[in-house]
Amino acid sequence: MAKRISGLQREVLQVYRHCIRAAHRKPLTNQPNFVRYIRTEFSKYRDISRKDFSTIEHLLRVGNRRLKMYSASEVKDIH
Amino acid sequence: MLSSMLRGSSVALRTVSARSLARPVGVSAMMSPIRLYSSSLNKDEISTRIIDVVKAFDKTTASAQVTNETHFAKDLGLDSLDTVELLVAIEEEFDIEIPDKVADEIKSVGEAVKYIETNPEAN
Repeated sequence: MAKRISGLQREVLQVYRHCIRAAHRKPLTNQPNFVRYIRTEFSKYRDISRKDFSTIEHLLRVGNRRLKMYSASEVKDIH
Repeated sequence: MLSSMLRGSSVALRTVSARSLARPVGVSAMMSPIRLYSSSLNKDEISTRIIDVVKAFDKTTASAQVTNETHFAKDLGLDSLDTVELLVAIEEEFDIEIPDKVADEIKSVGEAVKYIETNPEAN
């Protein structure tokens, strides 16, 4: 049985979900670029300790800000 | 006494049904709403569509056999982030948005089928 996920982990999953949804609203040809970008950004901190609250909270804020920035309809592609 | 009660109720039923038969004619003459709801979605159709989505997902192990009992993490080797991505793909297939709280609980094909089945907006 998998460990029950904490509230903070739940938050991370929600940000990830919102990112993926935002990526699917982009032009169809560029969607894979966005998904790849989201995956690499999240996987950078894959091995962070689940007890490292302040870092995770900081990253959540950064992630939410970046999500807001990139989900603007003017942003069509990403590298 | 029982039979008289029964007769009474059947009379009542008849009048009700007569009224309910008479009314829709007038209503439908005024407006003709075509609501394409999920009544046409049956369980088998939902599960084949979900299984197709799961198979098309690029992180699914190609050899894995996908059935209703398939567990995202145990059988397909997906981590929690991949599961989120897969659920978004399923959302798009059925043109709905699964709320965060519910989505966190869906961990297998069967659970996804059950959720779509109970969602009236899925199509």
